Amino acid sequence: MQKAIFTLMERCVACKSCEIACAVAHSKSGKVATAQFEEPLPRSRVRITSAGAYSFASRCVHCEEAACIAACPTGAMHREGRTGVVAVDEDLCIGCWMCVVTCPFGAVTADPGTAKALKCDLCAARGAAGLGPACVDACPTGAMVYATPDELAGMRRFATAMASVGVVDGVEESVALWRNLKGGRSI
Amino acid sequence: MSDLVIVGNGPAAVAAIERFRSLDSRSRVTLVSKEEVPFYSPCPLAEYVEGSVARERLFLRPASFYDDHGVEFLAGATAVGLDRGALVISRAGAVRSIAWHKLLVATGAVAARPPIEGLEGTAGVFALKTLSDAEGIIALSQRARRAVVIGSGFIGLEAAQALRRLGLDVTLIEALDQVLPQMLDVDLAEIVRSRLEANGVKVLCSALVRAIESEHGAVRAVRLDTGVIAADLVVIATGVRPDLRWLAGSGIATDQGILVDASMATSVPGVWAAGDVAQAPAWDGRHRLIPTWPNAVSMGSIAGVSMAGGDTRHGGTDIVNVVRVFGMAVASFGERGNGESHDFAGAGARRRVLIRDGRISNGQFIGDISGSGALLEMMRKGVDVSRLGDKIARPGVGPAWSMPRPPKPGRHAA
Repeated sequence: MQKAIFTLMERCVACKSCEIACAVAHSKSGKVATAQFEEPLPRSRVRITSAGAYSFASRCVHCEEAACIAACPTGAMHREGRTGVVAVDEDLCIGCWMCVVTCPFGAVTADPGTAKALKCDLCAARGAAGLGPACVDACPTGAMVYATPDELAGMRRFATAMASVGVVDGVEESVALWRNLKGGRSI
Repeated sequence: MSDLVIVGNGPAAVAAIERFRSLDSRSRVTLVSKEEVPFYSPCPLAEYVEGSVARERLFLRPASFYDDHGVEFLAGATAVGLDRGALVISRAGAVRSIAWHKLLVATGAVAARPPIEGLEGTAGVFALKTLSDAEGIIALSQRARRAVVIGSGFIGLEAAQALRRLGLDVTLIEALDQVLPQMLDVDLAEIVRSRLEANGVKVLCSALVRAIESEHGAVRAVRLDTGVIAADLVVIATGVRPDLRWLAGSGIATDQGILVDASMATSVPGVWAAGDVAQAPAWDGRHRLIPTWPNAVSMGSIAGVSMAGGDTRHGGTDIVNVVRVFGMAVASFGERGNGESHDFAGAGARRRVLIRDGRISNGQFIGDISGSGALLEMMRKGVDVSRLGDKIARPGVGPAWSMPRPPKPGRHAA
């Protein structure tokens, strides 16, 4: 099963660390200190988005029936055979923005610097080096998880089990309970 | 006898072949193509004219595509008649009939020819719909100096832009009182008009073309109500429509296009239709003719499944379009002029979202088109956005609101 990025919305504090990490990971220099001076300016492919009282990092979910691939009239938007990642071939992209207007998640944007379609590539370059997506690594609150659906379900079940055993509710109390367990104290 | 005959060779036909072959590897498939060339994408033709996209880039499938998919490819063959069991084609002057068991009509649309005196038979007058149109324009643009583009929809705008970039004097003529009349409200269209004029395109709105004047068979000028414009190249961009004449007597129900249901089946058993020729149920359930690339691909895929015996339904076609005007993105979806307007104005950006009965009915975006797809999805789903007010038009609003929601209590209750 392919890994995907999942969002634990209740943990996101909209700090935008993911946005910066994404832009830096897709920069030429790969360093935050110099990436900000690059031309064209490297852009983030994730965007912190509000959802009522919550926020989350909105980005491409690599749809199985991807509207952007069907909409692309140049063959630039395609699915990588090995990974299943939906990706843009920048050489083929003419910047017609059909993908931008058909993506139901608003996850493909028009890069003003390159005039090419811009979207999450699940950090293909980092993946080749055995690393996960930069946004997930950068998240300081653990709001983003890079896992298979089964792994995520296991983690969520554990958290729910903790909460139910301790008759606790919410992240903070779960964490407190977790600390108690680690400290060897009875509950 | 062929198990499946496909008439047409555009994106709907190719999507249908690919989906059909993923489910059925045994049926004999024949494809009848009016044009001599293999499948190509018509969308970047303006870019091809201006030289930013190379010719080979238009061909999105390898040369072996038809062989790889077990399709007999009949190029240069025009369908001229259809009855139960036989398709009549004309190829290289010879007429013959092909027996079929299943048939897909994916003949697309042709450029509309407005009733203008002197239009027919005059050299130097083109549409911008096919590869041969584009090649004709390219050849003439080497020596032409003055071009007139008739019609200011997105193809007209793309043509005007490409010709301007080739260094021609370009005049854009629109019969209505604004450019992009299908996509934009009149005040937003003014921004587009300014952009065109700032880049050297002369724009004449509310102008009616009376005649194309020629000399020795070649175009010399375009005569309007109000005067005469010298021109040695004319592009007609007044829309497209399906050519249904060859279907007379076939019994297939038509309106503006071929009427199909959500599985792309026509009124005649064994005949499906997809792409620009098909009038399918749109997002609002009404049968509409919406000739765009994404609709053609999605309709073709559905037809491919249906013809292989699968059961699948199209979720509804969309009115959605996007055009670039000298680097400025312009997008719209839905139908304008019906609802309460919510506007956003930012640096180099104007966004307008129309709300009717709490739901999005139309979006118009200039400069910043980000998230327009999420708003389109909200329109399709009928998400109630009334509590967002003017915020709805801001960039960044959308994704969370367009996500799947649990069904309303009671709707699915026993």
